[in-house]
Amino acid sequence: MSIRICNLPFNSSFAPQPRARVSSRSTRVFARTENDTQQQQLNLSVLRFTFGIPGLDESYLPRWLGYGFGSLLLLNHFSASAPINEPQLRSEALGISLAAFSIALPYIGKFLKGSVVEQRTLPEEGEQVFVISSNIGDSLKEDLAWATYVLLRNTSTIAVLISIQGELCVRGYWNCPDQMSKAQLHDWFKKKVDEIGLADVKETLYFPQYEGSSASWDILPDGTRSLFVQPLIQDIYEPQKMDGFLLVASTAGYAYSDKDRAWIGAMAEKFRG
Amino acid sequence: MEARIILQIQIPWNPNHKFSRRPSLYLPRFFIRASSSTSQKPRSYRGPKPSKNLVADFISRNDDLARSLPIYVGGASLLAVLFNRTVSGIAPVADASSSQSRADLLALGLAVTNLLTGLVWLSIRPKSITPVNPEGVECKVVVSGLPTTIVSELLWAWESFKVATCCKSLVIVYNGICLIQIGMVAESTEDKKGVIVNTDKLMQGSVYQGVMKSKAQSYLANLSLYPGRSELPFLPANTQAVILQPLGDKGIAVIGGNTIRGFTSSDQAWISSIGEKLDATLGRYFIDSAAEVSPEKD
Repeated sequence: MSIRICNLPFNSSFAPQPRARVSSRSTRVFARTENDTQQQQLNLSVLRFTFGIPGLDESYLPRWLGYGFGSLLLLNHFSASAPINEPQLRSEALGISLAAFSIALPYIGKFLKGSVVEQRTLPEEGEQVFVISSNIGDSLKEDLAWATYVLLRNTSTIAVLISIQGELCVRGYWNCPDQMSKAQLHDWFKKKVDEIGLADVKETLYFPQYEGSSASWDILPDGTRSLFVQPLIQDIYEPQKMDGFLLVASTAGYAYSDKDRAWIGAMAEKFRG
Repeated sequence: MEARIILQIQIPWNPNHKFSRRPSLYLPRFFIRASSSTSQKPRSYRGPKPSKNLVADFISRNDDLARSLPIYVGGASLLAVLFNRTVSGIAPVADASSSQSRADLLALGLAVTNLLTGLVWLSIRPKSITPVNPEGVECKVVVSGLPTTIVSELLWAWESFKVATCCKSLVIVYNGICLIQIGMVAESTEDKKGVIVNTDKLMQGSVYQGVMKSKAQSYLANLSLYPGRSELPFLPANTQAVILQPLGDKGIAVIGGNTIRGFTSSDQAWISSIGEKLDATLGRYFIDSAAEVSPEKD
């Protein structure tokens, strides 16, 4: 484990500080420039814990420390001799609540601006399907093919379904029966979608922590964590003129940030009207 | 499962869709939020609206407070441990001999973890940059003679950029013609209207040539630092960031934004996808129209 300490005083002005103090320090010092998110520029971290093991996410360190120290506290409590005096109880209570807070820290950190979104994982079983209705014109087919491709590529989506006036375009990893012809698959999806009644969704639905649900939703692949449904409403005061909807699912939790949802809405606009 | 829908105006009951009755969602509008049909799943108690995550909302709104929260918690606990020691009359000796000291040491360790996490969070705070209102006039110039599908596609691209990114100006040049100039445009000094794009000058300039040669998107995150700025006189003078997206090898889309580094990498990926789509659409249109023209020439 190495603790890298940068002696640059941390302030948010990000102006390059004079480096004269670096050489006077005896400990190993260097600055790391971070380009975590696109919104940051040259960013000099003050302190960074890192084990130096690639792939290990140190942002969960408070959680592990919370579990470890909390269990040690409990061990200490139960192995102490019988009359535990009050000061000890107080400090143990403090320790336990600190441990609980530390365990919750990574969860809180996920909602801060600039936090890293987890990557999607592709489902191991199942293959990709690409089904498109045959009842629609060629230019619309092309648009649908392009839109689904772009959604799969530019967001952490693994499954996308676009429905326009009942005609479907389905792409990605879905939980559907194999050995069906394309036309049969299309009808199967259509039936499933009608069961769920997604075509009547009037506003966007976003489930960032999808846990799995009733039988009709089992077309979604295993491990779906985020779900976003964007309706293509023709005209809000004439609900019978619903155009359809666009559904994207991802295996990463909180996969669709505001920006992602804005872009998905823009893609849905393409098929409106 | 059937249900009747209570509506204020006549809407024919659509037998294709199954609804379930959700009186709690009856809204005094023209229709019931019939996404209640999603209540077929056992989570129907949540209704069609996903449950609000109060923690997430609170933290998103009070970002600074949330970032410094662990520091306060860690610091307060440090003081509390010392205070506890002094108040109870035990000497503040940090050894592991008695179970009291062990408990104190563990609590101190956790307090330090919190402190350091808070410091890390503060240090990785993204710098917030304020958008700069572009100085200029609103403009919407579409070259005449284009079929409506092409025009609607171009306008769709503009709407997408406008809604999803910090884009405030868009100029698309293809096949030597400026197809669309929309959004904020620099005000010309003579007639108080927008500066028209001088397509020939643009295409001979180094900015255009560079982008065409590299065939890749060019992102000028801080336009004021860029010497080629003078080749884009049609953009408002205080445009902060520009994306130059080549459309195949025949055209370019100039997208101006109002924030320095305002286009994220996700925006860049989306813009290049839309650029490819526009290139495919426009290319096909121009090839078709050229094919119509050329038989006459022969």
